[in-house]
Amino acid sequence: MKHRVLFLSICLLVVLAVYGDLFAAAQKEGGEIVLTFPTFWVGQDSKAGPIADLVQQFNADNAGKIRVVIEANPDTDGYRTKLNTSLAAGVVPDIFVFNPDPTTFQYYDADILMDITEELKGAWAQDFAPGYIEASTKKGRAKTVPFETGLTPIWYNQELFGRAGLGDFPKNFDDFWAAAEKLKAAGIVPTSQMTGGANAWTSMLWYSHILASISGPEVWKNPLTHPQYVQAAEILLRMYQDGNTTKDAVGGDAGVAGGHYMAGRTAIFINGPWYIGRIKKDAPAVHAVTKLAHAPAVKAGAYGGEIGFQLSNLAAANTKDPARKAAVLKFLRWMTKPENVKMISERSGAMFALKYQLGAQVDPLLKQFIEISSSAKFSVGHFESQYPVAVTQELGQALGAMALGKATAKEFVQMLIQASK
Amino acid sequence: MRNKHWKAILLFLTPTVVLYALFFVFPLGYVFFVSFIRWSGAIPTGFAGFQNYLDIFHNPTFAVSIRNNIIWALSLGIGQIALSALVAMILARGPWGWRFLRTVYFLPNVISQVAISMMWIAIYNAEYGALNRILEQIGLGHLARNWLGLVETALPAIIIQQLLYVGYFMIIILASTMSIPTSYYEAAQIDGASVLQQERYITLPLIRGILVTSSILAMAYGLRHFEATFLMTAGGPANSTSVMGIMLFNNLHFLQYGRANAIGAVLIVLGALIIVTMRRTIGRQSEEIVAKG
Repeated sequence: MKHRVLFLSICLLVVLAVYGDLFAAAQKEGGEIVLTFPTFWVGQDSKAGPIADLVQQFNADNAGKIRVVIEANPDTDGYRTKLNTSLAAGVVPDIFVFNPDPTTFQYYDADILMDITEELKGAWAQDFAPGYIEASTKKGRAKTVPFETGLTPIWYNQELFGRAGLGDFPKNFDDFWAAAEKLKAAGIVPTSQMTGGANAWTSMLWYSHILASISGPEVWKNPLTHPQYVQAAEILLRMYQDGNTTKDAVGGDAGVAGGHYMAGRTAIFINGPWYIGRIKKDAPAVHAVTKLAHAPAVKAGAYGGEIGFQLSNLAAANTKDPARKAAVLKFLRWMTKPENVKMISERSGAMFALKYQLGAQVDPLLKQFIEISSSAKFSVGHFESQYPVAVTQELGQALGAMALGKATAKEFVQMLIQASK
Repeated sequence: MRNKHWKAILLFLTPTVVLYALFFVFPLGYVFFVSFIRWSGAIPTGFAGFQNYLDIFHNPTFAVSIRNNIIWALSLGIGQIALSALVAMILARGPWGWRFLRTVYFLPNVISQVAISMMWIAIYNAEYGALNRILEQIGLGHLARNWLGLVETALPAIIIQQLLYVGYFMIIILASTMSIPTSYYEAAQIDGASVLQQERYITLPLIRGILVTSSILAMAYGLRHFEATFLMTAGGPANSTSVMGIMLFNNLHFLQYGRANAIGAVLIVLGALIIVTMRRTIGRQSEEIVAKG
């Protein structure tokens, strides 16, 4: 008897679960268009709050007609891997974050992304800052919407600099190495570096800055066989030597590099404006004393260049359903509305490819980003934006080999060339 | 002569065969098929012949990865099984608190590999890791280093922390050990055999079969190893801890699906060769001993 009751209870639960799922599906099909939006702008990300608020507002304004559901993917590298797998399997999310680089632009050749070329030619185009729609257009087709931009100047802790008897950030590398010695003498590790993660982010940005100083605005026209890469590698190598960085830099990831800076263990760091929200929340004391600067210039090199790039675009799955397409476009227009983007920027510190004016109460660090962007003599993309993922990923491994003395600067570049084949 | 129950046999076998074909045979065949095409994940771009295989064989990281996979297979197949057997044989003697210890040793196997790897990353950290602090406290500070950031120590560091998780195989070997009749040990004790002699001449021969099977399973795990290395070093530093699984994963990341599947195909063939060889050599010897016994 007991077993019969148990068996019947289990059957009932299964039936309810199945019926519940069918009922829910029927609800979705009852006129409301549900759009999935997997994103890493969740959790600790500085844009998590404002993005969630915008989606909530959109859903409220379109109740019963369109509903956007955020799918949380907190890890950026994991998100990209998951997305690549989904796209390869033909399972394209309705809306997703597209990381524009030479590897991902291959998806433009497939029929999986919504083509928004015509829509971006109209009134919508007026909302975007110049150059971004063109940068998102390949072979005459625009299949992603420019969204977040990146600018990655040097961050330095003014208080630690003061403790070491230093003033402003050095403008050339001779002064930089002298400053590093003073910092070490004061018991402060000069720079945060990392060889880990998918792209050795902090060190990759340093490498990009050094290359930009060597060759100026035309830096990326030179192939990997150009001597600039070896010259820059030699300078980058010195950052890993003689205690110029932390002991866990080799193998360390973004958490390690950023963590040391936020903990006040290192004096110099590199990252973009999206990190403002994070440092303000987790290390307000360091946020208050952080100043931004252009990277130092190499001998006879250019000073005042900046590393600026398209960080994240928004993309959508190609669909033949006109109602679905209209819903997606409505959401994309909502997300790129200048006042909405302004709100995200003011709350998170992130910067965007749209035309918007920040209010008077802007974060002081974000204000520095805007000032340094205006004062930049030129702007070029970072290394990762110029080369396929295979090369960027190899950069971390090759850098680790060079930092450990297993490879010379020439061999470091050879490894990058090998990865590009 | 036809079995008169052939219809029933076919009926009962069909679901399993269908599922097996769908979830094993078809994916296996598809891996080999895709390994011969050039595919970026967006659009297939045509037949590549053996180019994908040539590309991976020419990659210097490939040789390192194969070597590391073999090291993993041998470390787990021999090292971890030996440790598991040792712990099992001690627990089989029923020391005080053996049931509690059995649970404690098995506990890590129910914890996520991600959590375990994050914990070990913190332990091995050069700046604030517990290992370096302990070494400094006991006067061995000169041994403190960036365990996961040095080519010489990264691979051993990851392997050692995996070797310590003996719970899974310990449980299997313990069950086998405890099934040996106690009369054998009593007889041996009467004859004056020491504990070590009893373990050597009674326990080990009688559990040899389970040891071989466990060793093969552990080696198979070593050949397909991925999680701990990916989480702790992502194949670095300088690709020194790279394994085939990570190479495969990286090629997926690079949108090189043809090459990724070629790596998968090589892994399948290599794994099959090693396991079959193990079964035919050590497995056969084990069967002979059991038959004689």
